[in-house]
Amino acid sequence: MIGIEDRFIEKRIFKSRLILIYIFFGILFSAFIYRTYNLQVYSYSSYELASIKNKTRSLLVQPKRGIIYDRNGNILINNVPSYDLIIQPAQIENISNYLDRLNEVILIDDGEREYVLERFENRSIYNRELAVKRSLSNEEIARFEVRGYLFPEAIIDKRYRRESEYPHLFSHVLGFVGGADNENMSDILNTQGKALGETLFTYANGYLIGKTGIENTYDDSLRGFFGERIFEVDAKGKLLKEIDFIEPKDGFDTFTSLDLEAQKVAFEAMAGRKGAVVVVEIETGAIITYLSSPTFSINQISNGISSANFEKLISDKDKPFFDRVSQGRYSPASAIKPAIGLYGLENKIINWDYTIDDPGFFVLPEDQRIYRGWKKGGHGTINLESALIESSNTFFFSLAYQSEINDLIDHLSNFGFGKNICADCFNPGKGLLPSPQWKMNNLNFGWFKGDSVNLGVGQGYLSATPAQLAFYSAFIGNKGSLEKLSLINNSIDKDILVLQASNITNEDWDRIHKSMIGVIENPKGTAKRLKNLKSYNIAAKSGTVELVSLDSKEDYEIVREDILKRDHGIMIAFAPMPNPKYAISVVIENAESGGSVAGPVAVKVLNSLIKE
Amino acid sequence: MKQASFKRFTIFFDQYLFISITLLSVMGLFFLYSASQGNINIVMKQAIFVGFGIFLMFILSQPDPDIYKILSLIFLVTSLLLVLITILFAKEINGAKRWLDLGVFTLQPSELVKIALPIYLASYLFEKPIPIDIRNTFKSLLIIGICFFLIARQPDLGTSLVVSMAGIYILFFAGLSWKFIGSSVLVFLISLPFLWNNFLQPFQQQRILTSLDPSADPFGSGWNITQSKIAIGSGGISGKGFEAGSQSHLDFLPETETDFIFAVIAEEFGFIGVCILLSVYMFILLRCMYLAFNARDRFCRLTIGGLSLVFASTLFINLAMVTGLIPVVGMPLPFISKGGSSLLSFYIAFGIIISMASHKKLMQR
Repeated sequence: MIGIEDRFIEKRIFKSRLILIYIFFGILFSAFIYRTYNLQVYSYSSYELASIKNKTRSLLVQPKRGIIYDRNGNILINNVPSYDLIIQPAQIENISNYLDRLNEVILIDDGEREYVLERFENRSIYNRELAVKRSLSNEEIARFEVRGYLFPEAIIDKRYRRESEYPHLFSHVLGFVGGADNENMSDILNTQGKALGETLFTYANGYLIGKTGIENTYDDSLRGFFGERIFEVDAKGKLLKEIDFIEPKDGFDTFTSLDLEAQKVAFEAMAGRKGAVVVVEIETGAIITYLSSPTFSINQISNGISSANFEKLISDKDKPFFDRVSQGRYSPASAIKPAIGLYGLENKIINWDYTIDDPGFFVLPEDQRIYRGWKKGGHGTINLESALIESSNTFFFSLAYQSEINDLIDHLSNFGFGKNICADCFNPGKGLLPSPQWKMNNLNFGWFKGDSVNLGVGQGYLSATPAQLAFYSAFIGNKGSLEKLSLINNSIDKDILVLQASNITNEDWDRIHKSMIGVIENPKGTAKRLKNLKSYNIAAKSGTVELVSLDSKEDYEIVREDILKRDHGIMIAFAPMPNPKYAISVVIENAESGGSVAGPVAVKVLNSLIKE
Repeated sequence: MKQASFKRFTIFFDQYLFISITLLSVMGLFFLYSASQGNINIVMKQAIFVGFGIFLMFILSQPDPDIYKILSLIFLVTSLLLVLITILFAKEINGAKRWLDLGVFTLQPSELVKIALPIYLASYLFEKPIPIDIRNTFKSLLIIGICFFLIARQPDLGTSLVVSMAGIYILFFAGLSWKFIGSSVLVFLISLPFLWNNFLQPFQQQRILTSLDPSADPFGSGWNITQSKIAIGSGGISGKGFEAGSQSHLDFLPETETDFIFAVIAEEFGFIGVCILLSVYMFILLRCMYLAFNARDRFCRLTIGGLSLVFASTLFINLAMVTGLIPVVGMPLPFISKGGSSLLSFYIAFGIIISMASHKKLMQR
């Protein structure tokens, strides 16, 4: 039996201990309420965000690239829609079997097969789609629709291709596009405040960036802004329904200064010969024609070319991939002579009445070395005008011999030699304007007087790109000043290059122009054969680039057996005179003559631009 | 407490507990409807359990508590035998043998031990001197230890801990000396590294580490707790609305019908809903405290105290787990989580509590 006393003690213990435990639970309860308050009230916004992030998934939507126009509003590059058969490589294990199965429904040729096999693994890793067959016919679409249930990993959908109606005309100047790797894409998305993510591609080839030409230099404005499709997803990532759609903003259309018709004429006139044609609008420096020949199809490269075909392109001995306009280096040869003449006038070494006797060669007083002209027996007594018309070497050998070499180089650099003269060309070259300093640094030799003499006729170390020659031509046409060249009108503030000269008068310029008109119009002119090909006056200067230094014409007859050692032909010109609008440079490799081979090309292109 | 007299017999009844538990159960059915994404089959099955449970609670509150004192040993031994049978014969589910398939219903015998152990200890200590002496302390601890190890063998660490806590509550109320408590805690703390290395399975260690820093592995073992916190937090003050919780309805939240149902409630009804729900639980617990204070004898006092604290412990372990305060252990939200055995065990417990509260003895021993 338990006594009253004990029962009292026991009850007291029980009560105090029960209260103690309830207090303990009370603390737990308060801690829990505090915790819940923290989660639901204090940190609500961050958890709400987390919950929204959980249940939504945003797929990027690729914008279309801007359209590229010529200066008359002709479309040069467009986005062309087609219905393509597209697979999801990440969902396919054995691609070879898969293609065999697909082949029973839609014929897949060897080229397409090769194309898919080359890209399959890469696309699978990055979970990107892959177009198996493009531009499906209605019949093919219908066939697939019937049996499509057998291929849940494949769909037919509308995709765009980057295409030019003139794939061979503008290969180098417009350039091509190509796939971007994840790093590239991530950088681009960053600039648009977005992160790399699953993307709904608008182009059959996925995300495209400009690789060369205008596609590359103006990629920023052509590319456009990504849109987003926002879906509600469950925990497994299954898309349940679309909740929002932010439309992509297509890239800006780009209006170039190029002229479709003139480009066509240049392309046809070149007829696949190696060389370049560049036309510049003198008033603005805008490039009207930009042709490097031979060309290649930008459509093929932009939309996927098999590696075999690509290999063929880059190993072609004519180097169609090489952009001769901006990267080719040619000696200006006789085309340099007007600039040398201007040097003589500026430095008062000569005037228009100054004459020399041209025996057909020049003897360097220092070592009696002989520098020959192109005409046996020489041109007789000549002044600057006739030296330009007949292209006397002796006159300019002698003039260069009397020059102060560093002054001469400074003078030539005013004409754009050794400089980048294009504001927005892709990868513009500078050619080479040699100097004693340059020679010492690179060849470990001092400057010889003979080097100056060679410079006088544009031979030796001096080289320029066809773009530089066109600039040079326009610069003379504009009487000593010109804006840098450009491909897009009014898009940039361009530097203006001005000839630094104090003794050259407007009359001097007029006489230079007159002499250059004489190159075609004068019966003794080196390009007199062009006289009847046009109905207006053209100021021109031809040039013939010797690839091998020779002493006699007989030697050349042996050398020319090898086509690749034949002289290059160069023509610079501007027209219509007396108020020239366009300046042109034409370079044709191994053409043997500037006046009679490059000249007709120049006239044809100018004719297409100057319609009376 | 009501002793409603009809012509021939008396009904024993506590309207406060009865109404609040019925309220919780019915609320639970609604919550479950949303948590199961409108699966009417699950809700119907649960409704049958709830109906049966409330009926069972009513029936069990009718007999005089002395019967439970007499039957307590049989109840405990039977439950432990069922646990043993489970370990020996039951089919393994998810690496554990916890369930006995009875055809209509799978029984989890460990849930019964959770109730049987405190009742038995209360009756065992009924005639022993109080405060409890060392001999009886060790005898009781031995019984608790047997229960703990049997259930831990299943393995079911969560339930075995709650079961031993249930036993220890009774010893504590019976006046377990502070010296003993203090030295036990000390021994426990010292042996903690040993227990960690030798007693816990790697996945259990991982769970504990995860609860300390769920962000360390948000898509692996931290997934559940991360998603649960997002669900609760994004509910805000007033919630997203019934059946509008994106975390549960888009499958981000795991175990929505069972262990994590609180997160569903918090997401859909917000802080206000949570407070209302918790106040019902608090009301039940405070009512139990009142009943324990006024119990008719030591057996009833200890039993009411013990059982109500088993209820409270289950509740708080669930809440703390769901909000990421403690590691994930399988512990239901009483009267709301889907599940047969644990649900029924609480109806049984409250049936017994009501019986003890409503039967008065004029002559006390």
